[in-house]
Amino acid sequence: MVTREDIENIALLSKLFVDEKDLDSLTEEMQKIVSFADTINNAEVRTGEFDNINNLSNVFRADEVLPSLPSAEILKNAPEQAEDHFLVRKRA
Amino acid sequence: MKYELVAGFETHVELSTETKIFCSCTTAFGGDPNTHCCPVCIGLPGTLPKLNEKVVEYAIMAGLATNCEIAGIAKMDRKNYCYPDLPKAYQISQYDKPLCQHGYIRLSNGRKIRILRIHIEEDAGKLIHNHGDTYVDYNRGGVPLIEIVTEPDFRSIDEAKEYVERLQQTMRWIGISDCRMQEGSMRCDVNISVRPEGSEKLGTRTEIKNMNSITNIAKAMEYEYERQCELIESGGAVVQETLRYDDATGTTSSMRSKEDAHDYRYFREPDLVTIAVPRERVNEIEARLPELPGQKFTRYTQTFEIPEKDAAQLTKYRSIAEYFDQAIEGLKSPKTASNFIIGQIFRRLETEADKEAFDVRTTAKQLNEMCRLLEAGKLKNNLAKKTLEQMLDTGKPVTEFISESDMAGLDENTLTEYCQNAINAMPAAVADYKGGKEKALMAILGNVMKQSRGRADAAAVTAKLKELIG
Repeated sequence: MVTREDIENIALLSKLFVDEKDLDSLTEEMQKIVSFADTINNAEVRTGEFDNINNLSNVFRADEVLPSLPSAEILKNAPEQAEDHFLVRKRA
Repeated sequence: MKYELVAGFETHVELSTETKIFCSCTTAFGGDPNTHCCPVCIGLPGTLPKLNEKVVEYAIMAGLATNCEIAGIAKMDRKNYCYPDLPKAYQISQYDKPLCQHGYIRLSNGRKIRILRIHIEEDAGKLIHNHGDTYVDYNRGGVPLIEIVTEPDFRSIDEAKEYVERLQQTMRWIGISDCRMQEGSMRCDVNISVRPEGSEKLGTRTEIKNMNSITNIAKAMEYEYERQCELIESGGAVVQETLRYDDATGTTSSMRSKEDAHDYRYFREPDLVTIAVPRERVNEIEARLPELPGQKFTRYTQTFEIPEKDAAQLTKYRSIAEYFDQAIEGLKSPKTASNFIIGQIFRRLETEADKEAFDVRTTAKQLNEMCRLLEAGKLKNNLAKKTLEQMLDTGKPVTEFISESDMAGLDENTLTEYCQNAINAMPAAVADYKGGKEKALMAILGNVMKQSRGRADAAAVTAKLKELIG
């Protein structure tokens, strides 16, 4: 059962601001989403098995260095940057 | 009331692979900011991680060296938290299927420190805080780590210190990490609580982070132990929280930020496939592991009867132990070589770094040659020390410093002659000896040694003198 507190906690973890007046409707909506997802629980699964959807295992990469990108490329999409670093401003 | 300390460790060890865990960027320490990065390790949308095979191998080595069971099947999970050191807002780690579990490290007091698990994960980026703003460098982001988690098995600070030293020694020994605490390639978090002596119930614990040396770990634990005891004594209660150790003040203080909301919402990393480790693969890695420090220690102390204190020094670094192993090949008494190494050679190695590098001009083979001559009686004990000094100064073999005649020793006739000379020259000493003063014989022995320029064998001279004096 999804509660108002759950919504507040999720908002906190996701760093989202949620208005007090939206809490009830969001709780209701989230409950619907969770109930829909619960349908999966009805699917027949063999227990004790554990693998990913493709049944693949051990896809590895050899430990060989390839050139990295220049820092200018790395920083290209950064909202803010300074002295070759990503810059994260203090929240006001 | 007396309180018992209860502690557990979580240790992050940076693996010395060439490349990061999920991409081919270098793991080299330092570098200009954000120059060891690519779209994968800065978490750009649409990129896919691919696991470095060496990381799995190194983690299995770490597990085997700490008596862990190696999982047949393991997987990666996402650990979600939102903080600028993680560009993806999650760290790829392992949750419920770690590579290694249920190991232990045995301490010198005989107690076992149980290892709950060892898992692989990616390191986060480096944050530099400046006037409230944060500068982010992702060079370290994606560097492979293993996290070694123990059970709360520590009961003293000495045990904690020894554990960290052992772990450092072992990981360096098998060559999977340089474990430099100052550079951050080994980082320890300690969970610590206290309880009244005799009690079985665990107290409320705090977690201390940010300690970059064994000395600081000890100081932080000491401080935190005292703080918790005083708190309880004064009627208060310990609050479960994460603390930061401040080296400058020697105190711990509450850490906030990302630890506020401990809800990592782990789930399987859908971009990475299962890791399957067949038994044959484990066996193959195990076969390649060198003999470990603990195993060498047992062999040295039990088979060679080397004192524990000496054996501990010989096994501190792999370079020393391997030198020793080569130096004792075919020797009747390995202790002789051990004494030369710990006595004379160590005196020339001032720092721990020197000892670890063990850059000595005399090769193990040369020391072995010298010890063989000594055992064969061709090099006299009293000359050995000086000869080794000369060898260490020059890097030349033992044969450079002792002549054919030295090696031949004294023939019976010359020995008798020297002894007779000494007896004739020292009538007073002879009389003293006959009168029951055992020590007087030493003076006569000294005379013989002088005549032979140290080539005579002291035991042979003593026997001969006794025979002649009657």
